[in-house]
Formats: sequence, C-alpha cells, structure tokens
Amino acid sequence: MTINRRNVVLGGAAVAALLPLAARAQTSEVVIGVIYPLSGASAQIGVDAQKAFATAAELINEKHDFDLPLARGEGLPGLGGAKVRLVFADHQADPQKGRAEAERLITQEKVCAIVGTYQSSVAVTVSQICERYSIPFISADNSSPSLHRRGLKFYFRAAPHDEMFSTAMFDFFDAQKKKGQKIETLALFHEDTIFGTDSSNAQLKLAADRGYKVVADIKYRANSPSLTAEVQQLKAADADVLMPSSYTTDGILLIKTMGELGYKAKNIVAQDAGFSEKALYDAVGDKIPGVISRGSFSLDLAAKRPMVGKINDMYKAKSGKDFNDYSSRQFMGLIVMADAINRAKSTDGDKIREALVATDMPGEQTIMPWARVKFDEMGQNNFADPVLLQYNGGKFVTIAPPQAAVAEAIWPMP
Amino acid sequence: MESFAQRRRRDLIVAFVLAALAACAPFVIKDVYVQNIMVLTLMYAALSQAWNILGGYCGQISLGHALYFGLGAYTTTLLFTKFGVLPWFGMLGGGTISALIAMALGYPTFRLRGHYFVIATIVIAEIGLLLFHNWDWAGAALGIDIPVRGDSWLRFQFTRSKLPFFYFALVFCCVAWLITWWLEDSKWGYWWRAVKDNPDAAESLGVVVFNSKMGAAAVSAFLTAIGGAFYAQFVSYIDPESVMSFQFSLLMALPAVLGGIGTLWGPVLGAVILIPLTELTRSFIGGSGRGVDLILYGTVIVLISLARPEGLIGLFSRKRKEVSR
Repeated sequence: MTINRRNVVLGGAAVAALLPLAARAQTSEVVIGVIYPLSGASAQIGVDAQKAFATAAELINEKHDFDLPLARGEGLPGLGGAKVRLVFADHQADPQKGRAEAERLITQEKVCAIVGTYQSSVAVTVSQICERYSIPFISADNSSPSLHRRGLKFYFRAAPHDEMFSTAMFDFFDAQKKKGQKIETLALFHEDTIFGTDSSNAQLKLAADRGYKVVADIKYRANSPSLTAEVQQLKAADADVLMPSSYTTDGILLIKTMGELGYKAKNIVAQDAGFSEKALYDAVGDKIPGVISRGSFSLDLAAKRPMVGKINDMYKAKSGKDFNDYSSRQFMGLIVMADAINRAKSTDGDKIREALVATDMPGEQTIMPWARVKFDEMGQNNFADPVLLQYNGGKFVTIAPPQAAVAEAIWPMP
Repeated sequence: MESFAQRRRRDLIVAFVLAALAACAPFVIKDVYVQNIMVLTLMYAALSQAWNILGGYCGQISLGHALYFGLGAYTTTLLFTKFGVLPWFGMLGGGTISALIAMALGYPTFRLRGHYFVIATIVIAEIGLLLFHNWDWAGAALGIDIPVRGDSWLRFQFTRSKLPFFYFALVFCCVAWLITWWLEDSKWGYWWRAVKDNPDAAESLGVVVFNSKMGAAAVSAFLTAIGGAFYAQFVSYIDPESVMSFQFSLLMALPAVLGGIGTLWGPVLGAVILIPLTELTRSFIGGSGRGVDLILYGTVIVLISLARPEGLIGLFSRKRKEVSR
C-alpha cells in the first residue's frame, strides 16, 4: 500500500529513484505532508495539486539548471543531499477530517512540515494542529485574510491574501482615474461562502477608504439555480465597474443572465475563481471581451523569465495543463518550505520555523510575479504582488503589476 | 424461550461489559489517529442512538437532525467565545434550545406523514444552514475559531491528548444507550411503537399521537445537540458547512438504518462498522485522488443493505433464534 502511494506521490519517473533511496539510511529523506481535497466536489483541485507538488519535488530531488532554490543540486544539501518525500492526505473539504489527517501525518508518518489545503476552513484546523505539535505549516493557496491573524507561530503564507488581491484592483482603478477615466461607482456581486464573504468585506473597506461609491452589494447563494433577481438589481444600479466574486458555475450563470436581461456591464473586474477558469470562457467568453480578473500567476512571465516556461512544461507533461493560479502557488509552497528545511539543516519543527522566519527569497528566483518572499511577524509574505489579467482576443494578457505586465489595459471594456 | 425481562437484563449486562472493555481500550491503543477514530465512532453511535429514538422507535424519519447538531455546536461556541460561559453550561443550554426548537417545529410538521414529513425536515435544516451562513454576529461563512489555551477540564480543551474526549464520548454513548434502554420499556416506548405501526389504531386505543411525537423529538434533539457541542470542542473550529450540512443528517441516520432501525443495538453496531470504514479507507487509499475509498465505502453499504435489509442486527437475532430452537 505504501509503495502505491509513493508511486502516485512522486510520479512514475521518480519510482526508479526510490530504489536506491530505500537502500540508504532513513536520514536521507525528508518527509513533508500535503493535505488536499482528493475526493468530493473539489477533487480535481487536489489531483492537479498532486502534480504540482510532484513537479516541485522532482526539481528539488534531481539536478536542473534553473535559478530556483534547490534546483541545481540533488536533494537538500543542508541535510547531506536528503531527498524530499511527499505524503498526501485527503481532507474532503471537511475541517474535522483535515485535522485528523494532519494529526496522522505528524504522529504516524512523522512528517516534519505540512503544506495545504485549498479550502480556508480546513486550513484553520490543520494549522491549529500544526501549532500544537510545533510543526511548520505553509498555506500554499488559501487566501482568507483571517488565517494569518490568529497569533499562530507556525503558520506561514508566501502567497497573497484577499485584501492584497483587492488592493491590486483598487490600485488599478486609481491609476485609471489618474489617466482621466471615470470610475466612481462600484457594484459588488459575491457568493455567500468564506471566499465571497472575505472578498466583499475587503472590497467594501477599500471602496470606503479610497472614495468609491458602492451602489450595489449583492450577496447570493452559491450554486444558485437562478440569478435573475440579482442581475435585475445590478442592471438598475448600472455601476461603472461590476466586481464579481464567483466560482465557475455561478460566473457562467451571471454572464448568461446578464445577456438575457440585456444588461451590459460598463466594466468587469473579477476576483479570480470562476473568472480564471477556462470552462467559463469556453461557455460565455465571447460575451465579455476585455474582462479583467486578478490572479496570482501569469504565464506571460515566461517571456521575461524563461525558467517559468520550462517548469510549466514539466508540470504540463504530468497534468496536461498549464500552471494556473492554484497550481503555481502550490508549487511555490513546497519550494519555500524545502528551502527553509535546507537552511535549518534539521527536521526539527522549531529549527525549520526559525529558518522560515529568516526566509528572504528574491522574486526572480520564483515562478511568480512576486517582489520577494519574506514573512512578517504573522507569517504573511507582504511582497507577494498579485497580477491583473485582461481577457482579450481569446486569451489572457497581464496588465499589472509593471514587473509582469506585457500590455496596456484596454479601458473601458470594448 | 427467554422472557422480555430476561432479555432486557441481559442487554444491560452486555452493555456494561462492552463499555468496560471500551474504557480499557486506550491503555492498549496509544496511537492518536486510532483514538480519533474511536472518539468519532462513539460520537456517531450516540448521535445515531438519539436519531433512532425519533426515527426508529417513533417512526418519524428525520433527515434534518443536522439542525440540532449545529444548534448545539453554535450555542456552546457562541456562549464561550462571546460571553465566556463554560462549554459545560453551553452544552446544556444548546440541548435545551434544540429541544424547544424541535417541539416548535414539530407543532406544524408532525401533522405531515411519511415522505412529506421527511421533506419538511430536510427543508427546515437547510433554512437553518442558510441563516447561520448569513448571520454576521455568529461568524457567518467564516465560522468561529475557538481559542485553545492549554489543557483544561473546565474549558473542556485539550491540545494533544484525545483521552478526555474519548471518555466523554464513551459516557455520552452510554447515556444515550441507557436512555433508549429505559424508554424502551416505559409508557413512552410503547406509545412510540404504537404510533410507528399505525397512528390511527394507536389514537383509537388512547395514545395521544401528537404528544408522543413531540416527546420523542425533544429527547432526540436534546441528545443530538449535546453531540454537536462536543464536536465543536473536539474540532475547536466550526463553520455552517462543517456542523450543519446535510451530510450530518445522513451520518446520523445511516448507522441506525444500517445496523437495524428501531432496535437498541442497531445504531451502535452500525457506527462501529461505518465510521472506522470511512476513516480508514480515506486515510489509506484516499491519497490517490481516484475516489477508490468512496467506491469501496458505497459498495459495502449496498452489499449490507442487499444481504440484510432489516439491518445488521438481523445477523445476531437469527443466530439467537436458531439457538433457542
């Protein structure tokens, strides 16, 4: 059974590498736990995540000529070339199960660090358990801002949180206003789970701080069968910018309903999720040319930083997909954690934590548009700049921030 | 032939021996992961026992018990985080609130019969879920993180040890079982079974059908809410989806249905089989991301229901019949 799991963990290519590994002493491997939803409604995210983590592990364990921490050598030089071994666990989007799995990974599999979890609610309980056992936890792709504000010592997040994402949007509005565009009113449209709630809270606060008028703040039930009443309200408000925070199916329904009711938004600036999914653009992309979505990753970066393209190719060979918002953050989560373990020269939780606190990774050594990776006292990396992407001519182009942008924004939407 | 009184005495002795054995288990099993499974098994056994009072004995199938579970969890958590009320009082408060709400809801819904009643329970639980989703003071969709400040029986918090939770769950399970055992031979127990078999005939014999249903609902909801309060302390984080979603309603009904609906031992038996099966298949084959664990889990349930439609308890009673012959 264990062998089976390893197969999946490391991918077919790494199986051969395991044989000599088994012959060596136990100290030659570093076990890291990875907790994701591998069954249930968000299973696809977890399956893609496995490939992203396997790609990161491959880069660390084998020799690659990339300017990325640990890529050039084999294994972790700080621990005598020890290889990284990943153990995956399934939390089924249930905080209780995430908690139980974290405890199992720590006590049975003896992992020295944990990376997770996609759902923010599961990150709450997994990070609690990590704190109790003094095991460092990296939130690879959770974006709820409340997570790092709980006073936990072993919690770290290299990626941006929702307030940073929304700040990027408002920075963009401010910049457009300076150029003489009229942006006065906003309409918020968000679903009612933790994602939509956090997103709209951040947007309401930013709008008030920066003097934008919110003319509609509409909360709807996720996976709603009909959004007609909600879209009527949006149409009546007819704001300068419509800001949806929706998952894929709701996003598609929103655009379709807008079409049926004859409402064309002046501009749409979306909070990722559904609006960065290919499925949405396959369904209704032709109705919304020029839509802007925030993201944390952009393949446009490959033009400036060729290794991004090459690492993307490695991931694509495993998964058949390009890196997206989630898989890129998952990849970086493991790299940041492994880098800290390497510098700690130990698998002791407290030592790894100290190394994480001391992390200072230049942005050029990542695959992200980030300025750098450096954690504040709450474990949040405030240098993780989000990107804004505009959908134009059937594909996305990066329009902000400057270090990743490849084109000027088309504003207002055509 | 063994008399009814003899059977009841034997049930009590068996229960005592099983509880004593279970109480000793942590001395042998030190692994926290396995202990975690034992805690969940006992908790679901108790919850299913509570569900069985209304669903099994009284025949009112509820698929909305997640509401009472969630109310218990939210009452303790809110009282503790907002007003500093100890969870022990919150637990009783949650139980009382749930029992009252169960009766208030029972007032209109117990006029419905069969499938109509089942649908009403589902819908009401969904309304509860939506309300908590949108109630900002209660954390809305973000949920509530219960601050853990070290081990304490007073605050019922323990950072690493599972033992206090295990013993609480064991006591909870025993209490739920004893209440059922006692009710089985009480006036209420006979009324409930009469209502289940034929409400019109029961009414004509002087059973007050409506009151019987209300009584069963109150006891059942009270115990379910205690379970919810325990779960909140055990996980130390709650959000509407993780304590009030429809799956909890199913997880409370399933052990009783699988083990033997309307029987004393059915819920315990069902939970002992179902919960470890869910947990172990997820942990040891769920990591592949191919859903094999769920396929296996579903297959086992289908096979059991095909082989023993009356519940697993049928395995035991048949053996007994053969022996007595």
